[in-house]
Amino acid sequence: MTADDAALLEELREMWMAHDSPPADLVATMIAAVAAAGLDDEWEVLVLMRDSADGPAAPVRGLGTSRILYFTAAEGWSLDAELDEGQVRGQLVDFDGDLGSVEVVVETTDGQRWVTPLDEVGFFALRAEPTGSLRFTVRHGDHAASSRWVEL
Amino acid sequence: MGTMVAMSEDRRAEGQPVLSPWDMASGAFIAWRSGDAGAMDELVTAMTPVLWHVVRAYGHDRQSAEDVVQATWLGFVRLHETIKDPQAVASWLITSARRGAAAHARTARRAAPVQDETLHAALPHAESAEALAVLDDEASRLWGAVASVDERCRRLLRVVAFMDRPDYQSLSQDLDMPVGSIGPTRARCLAKVRTALTKGRER
Repeated sequence: MTADDAALLEELREMWMAHDSPPADLVATMIAAVAAAGLDDEWEVLVLMRDSADGPAAPVRGLGTSRILYFTAAEGWSLDAELDEGQVRGQLVDFDGDLGSVEVVVETTDGQRWVTPLDEVGFFALRAEPTGSLRFTVRHGDHAASSRWVEL
Repeated sequence: MGTMVAMSEDRRAEGQPVLSPWDMASGAFIAWRSGDAGAMDELVTAMTPVLWHVVRAYGHDRQSAEDVVQATWLGFVRLHETIKDPQAVASWLITSARRGAAAHARTARRAAPVQDETLHAALPHAESAEALAVLDDEASRLWGAVASVDERCRRLLRVVAFMDRPDYQSLSQDLDMPVGSIGPTRARCLAKVRTALTKGRER
């Protein structure tokens, strides 16, 4: 876009903002509508039940370098995940659906993101070294269940 | 993107940067996903005015525009987990609002099968706020210039003006234009506005 076009578009935007502004109570009404729709209730549907960082060091894992996380979903299935030396791997357990349609997403708060399908028995493995805080999302069809951020 | 730069680089007198609504939206969404429940209010506060202007670009009256904006937020409540890139939350909301506005316009046309010509005769102009607002001279000239161009141009310009990084692919579907023609069409529409401004000054 040329500088002249950008400047004219900016003038137009300011004109619309000044002379066709939204009703004064629209923001408050929308905040109330979102709150009433129960957004927070729907969000945390993948709940962290166990974190190896919270308990005694994992003696069964020898060197104990891995971090083990165990999540459950309201739908009844669970997600086991292990973070160890450049890998994130795990398994979806008791999932009552088509495992082939499931994707596991690993995200970090600094913008890293990895996505992987499951194998036929529900295992996944990613080459990834997440840093900061991490979150898991399990997608299947139109549904997704995400955890809260877990600090690494 | 000129509009984005202009907004992002705007600064307060105290020297504090003023974030654009799109930057505020992504920051709030990331904070909310990190567990800050209050950040959702910031997201709604930042994006509701932007959604308003995008919906109004489709010529809806103010009450209908409110309805479409609210439907956009309720859709967000249902589908927010499908937003893969939190930086894209503003684009997601704007796209949803555009589609809601277009769908509402189609429904309204079916519900009130009035000939376009009749509507044009009945209304002072498609953007009725133009006729109602009290404008200063410069705004009045701009408003008149925009009002003089065709509806497709007005819609394209108003939507693009409130987008951070225009998503030409979805815009092309919504506005029924080939992807490659959106940039040139925007330039032609701006040229029409500029020409109308010049003619207005000559009068």
